[in-house]
Amino acid sequence: MTKEEREQRWAEAMRAERRGDAVAYERMLKEVANALRRSLAPRLVRVGLGAHEAEDLVQEILIGLHRKRNTWDPARSFLPWLHTITRYKLIDFMRHRRRDTRRRVDLALEDWVEIVESPADEADCSTWEVDRHLAVLPVSQRKIVRAIAVEGASVRSVAQGLATSEGAVRVTLHRAIRRLLGTADPTPTIEPLPRNAHDKHR
Amino acid sequence: MTSTDDLIRSLARAAGTRRSASLQAAFAVTGAASLACALLLVFSVIGIRQDFADMAVRMPFAFKVVYTGALVVGASVVALYAATPGASATALYALSPAVILLALGVIFDPTGFPIMGRTNTAVFFCVRGILFLSLPAMILTFVFMRKGAPTRPLFAGAVIGMLSASVGALAYTLACKNDGTAFVAIWYAVACAIMAFIGAVVGHRVLRW
Repeated sequence: MTKEEREQRWAEAMRAERRGDAVAYERMLKEVANALRRSLAPRLVRVGLGAHEAEDLVQEILIGLHRKRNTWDPARSFLPWLHTITRYKLIDFMRHRRRDTRRRVDLALEDWVEIVESPADEADCSTWEVDRHLAVLPVSQRKIVRAIAVEGASVRSVAQGLATSEGAVRVTLHRAIRRLLGTADPTPTIEPLPRNAHDKHR
Repeated sequence: MTSTDDLIRSLARAAGTRRSASLQAAFAVTGAASLACALLLVFSVIGIRQDFADMAVRMPFAFKVVYTGALVVGASVVALYAATPGASATALYALSPAVILLALGVIFDPTGFPIMGRTNTAVFFCVRGILFLSLPAMILTFVFMRKGAPTRPLFAGAVIGMLSASVGALAYTLACKNDGTAFVAIWYAVACAIMAFIGAVVGHRVLRW
């Protein structure tokens, strides 16, 4: 697909979305995801991040595109709009990762001692432990994860309780789970290589 | 089937649910409400100038209104630009009339009034009044901007600050007792700069999405 074809095709799909055409919109999101994956993955590899992170970023961009789709003016071209959002999300993603890395490295002395002494073994089942893990989430995500994953409520009832749509609840849950997986990952996420590579390319 | 495909499917299910009143329409409502709030405050709290009827037909008042009006229009165009990804940067030229008026007001001040105002406290009261009047506009415009998609939060916040200060200044022209065009040009701009700074600090934190 050339750039012009893409512009035309995606702009048409965005217009179709406004008319409620979910099929065209879904097809466009898939194409956008593929294109983003192709263009972002090599860039992330260069700063020492893997395919997993690239996928996270692609999802962030898709969610951003979806939530802000009303700011696209059908009278103007679509690709510049998409590029600006992609760029914003890429920068945001890099900044978050840097901050996350720092937070995970900057532990108090007692925490380091705890890491060295306590054998990381039994599954943490008590509510207190669950709460502690959920504490890394923003309040809105925490509420939804607790309701659905801990208390076992349905997506529909949670959406009604929070007065939002089921789609919004799913998106939030999705993000929260990804974030939790990121934090609970037992393997150290910081290898010396990414940092160096990162600095070199800054 | 990856999680991205799941995500895409759940996003696609929401197709057509956002009946998008255009960004411009939302902005117009925000602007009108901001100005209404500022006018309400100037009438109720600060009070309009005693010799208003007499003053309103003279050149200094005309300069104040045209200058602050140019600021409001220019900052509005730039605010819409900041809220829209991929918009053309030529929007920034919309501020040039206000800048030209500022320069003209300072260089060719025909009134001969002192730059620091008629009294020692004039600058303080003037800037404080504008900042006070710009507060409702600030809040309303931030609410608007969160509906938009600002990809440079710091810049968007600064523009919001500047826009609200110019709305405040436009309302303040009814109360301002200083007629020197140099005074107006400089100190109104200083109020805008202060609000722009506050807006940038707030925007940096609040406008991420």
